[in-house]
Amino acid sequence: MGTTSDPATLIDLADRTVSPKIFADPEIYRAEQERIFGRCWLYVAHDSQVPNPGDFVTSFMGEEPVIVCRDLDGRVHVFLNSCRHRGMQVCRFEQGNARSFQCPYHGWTYDMTGRLVGVPDFRKAYYEELDRSKWGLLEVPRSAAYRGLIFASFEERAPSLEDYLGGFRWYLDMVLDRSASGMMTLPGVHKWTLATNWKFGAEQFSGDNYHTMWAHQSAVRVGLAEQFGGAEPWQRDFESATDEGHGWINLTFDDPPELNEVLGPYLARLREEAAKRLSPMQVRQIGCVHVGTVFPNFSLLSFLGFLSIRAWHPRGPDRVDVWSWSLVQRDAPQAVLELARDVQVRTFSPAGIFEQDDGEMWTACYQTLRGTYRRRFPLNYQMSANHGRTDPERPGLLHPPPTEIGIFGFYRRWRQAMADDGARG
Amino acid sequence: MTDRTLLRLEFEQRYFEEAALLDQDRLEEWLDLFADDVRYFAPVRAELGRGNEDLARGLRLSIFDDNKDGLKLRVARIRSGAAHADEPPSHVRHFVTNVRVLQCDGEKATVASNFIVFKSRHGRDETLFVGRREDRWAGGPGNWKIAGRLIVLDHNILENVTVLF
Repeated sequence: MGTTSDPATLIDLADRTVSPKIFADPEIYRAEQERIFGRCWLYVAHDSQVPNPGDFVTSFMGEEPVIVCRDLDGRVHVFLNSCRHRGMQVCRFEQGNARSFQCPYHGWTYDMTGRLVGVPDFRKAYYEELDRSKWGLLEVPRSAAYRGLIFASFEERAPSLEDYLGGFRWYLDMVLDRSASGMMTLPGVHKWTLATNWKFGAEQFSGDNYHTMWAHQSAVRVGLAEQFGGAEPWQRDFESATDEGHGWINLTFDDPPELNEVLGPYLARLREEAAKRLSPMQVRQIGCVHVGTVFPNFSLLSFLGFLSIRAWHPRGPDRVDVWSWSLVQRDAPQAVLELARDVQVRTFSPAGIFEQDDGEMWTACYQTLRGTYRRRFPLNYQMSANHGRTDPERPGLLHPPPTEIGIFGFYRRWRQAMADDGARG
Repeated sequence: MTDRTLLRLEFEQRYFEEAALLDQDRLEEWLDLFADDVRYFAPVRAELGRGNEDLARGLRLSIFDDNKDGLKLRVARIRSGAAHADEPPSHVRHFVTNVRVLQCDGEKATVASNFIVFKSRHGRDETLFVGRREDRWAGGPGNWKIAGRLIVLDHNILENVTVLF
C-alpha cells in the first residue's frame, strides 16, 4: 500500500481517531481481504448444523465460498467451494447430506474428505496420467471449533483458535457453556444485505451501547427499549476490550414480567447448571444483555437468556451481507425455543424492530464517508479513552457503558493486522 | 362473467384498495383489514434441493411472524416520528397481480396473489421486493377480514425490510 493508506496514519492511537478512508477506499478493502480475511480466524458454521456424517452447509470466509462438512468418519472439514478444474462451485445447496460433491461443469467428483475420486474420461482423454492425489478440493489450512462455533483460517501459521480468542473465551463461555447439554442452531438463517462497509456492524457490536437511546428511539417511544444498564456499574454494567481486539458489552436488564412464567424457571435452572461450570462472577452475569464481536467479523447478541450470532460477510467496500442464526440450549423446553425464535425475529432480523434502524445508520454513514473532502477529517473514538481499568476476575480493559474502549480496541487490532505485511523471517 | 371471475374481481379490488392504503400511509385503516387473531407470517428462504424448502411456521426463523398486536406495534413505531429507517418516509408503491381465488365457501376464502413493492430512499437507493402472498379471508360478504397472511419473498438475501406487504 502507498503511504496515503498506511495503516499507521489511518488509526491514530494517541488521538484515538479513525480515518473515514478505512470504510470507503477500495485499495484498503483489497488489503483487508489479504491481511484480515486471509489470515484471521473466521466463523463458518455451528457444529449442530452438521451433526451427522455426510452433513454439509455452505458458508463464506470473506468473499470466498466454502463448504463445511462432516466426513464419513465424523471429522469436520472446511473446503473452498471451487472445483480444481475450472473453479466451478461443486456444492450449490445451502445445506444437506451427501456422499460426494460432483462438479456440475465437467463432473469432477470429490469425496467428503476432499479427495478427487472421479474424473470423467480419465482413461480416454487423460490417459490415466492425471495425478488425482494432487487435485483434491482445497482445504482451508486451519479449522477448529470453540464450544460448537466452527472457525477457519487461511493462514497456516495462525495461532491456535484458543489463543486467538484469548481472554474473550471467558466471555464466550458465559453464553455458550451454561449447561452440559450444549447448544444448537434453530433452523433457518436470517440473511440480509446493506450498502455499507462491513466494519460498521462489527464495531457497533464490539462496544457501542451509546447508540441505543438514539438510533433505537422509535423502539423506546413504543415501550420496547429503555436505557439498559446502569444499575450496577463496573460489576454487571461494563464493557471489556480484550488484548486480542475483541469487545464485549454487558448490561443489567430486567426481564419483562410477562415472560416470567416461561423464562423464570428456565433461567433459574440455567443459573444452577452454570454454577457447576462457570465462575461466580460469570454466573452473576446470566440474565444480563451481552453484545460482542470476535475480530474481525463474528458478533453475538444475547438477552432474555437467548443468543443470536452473526457473521458480517464483506462484499466490497460498499456492501455487507449479514448472516444470523439463533442459538439455543439443546435441552430447552419447547416454549423457550419458541420464545427464542420470536425474540430474534421481532428484534434483530431483516424486518426486526431494532435491526431496521441499525441498517439505516450504517448505510447513511457510508454515504457521507465516501466524500473526498469528508475523508480528510477523522472520526472520533475518544469516549472514556484513559479511564479503563482492569479486574482480576475478568479479562480485558473495563469501563461501564457507554464507552468506546471496546470499539477502539477493535480498530487497534485492525491497525495491527493491516500493518503486518506478511513477511516471514 | 362467470361467478368465478366475479369472485376474483371482488378480491382483486380489495387488494387494490389495500395497496392504496399502504402507499398513502393510511396504516391505521390498513390494520382494520386484519382479523383480531391474524397471523402475518413470512418465512426465510433457503437454497435447497427441489421440494425441500420448508415454508411452514415452526421453529424455523422467519422474516415476519406477527399477530395483530405485533402489526399494531409496527405501525406505532412508524408513527413515533423516530423510526429512522423510514424517516423521512420512503416512497413506496405496491403492485398486486396474478390474483387467484384458490377456495371460497362463502364464509372463508383462500386467495393467492403476486406482488412487487418498489421503495425509493436516500435520493438514489431503489429497492424492489418481489414475492407472493397467500391470504386466508374470513367473515364472508360484507365482513371479510384477513385472518392469515403468508408472504413468500423471493429473495434469498433481503434488503433492509422497512415496508409492509
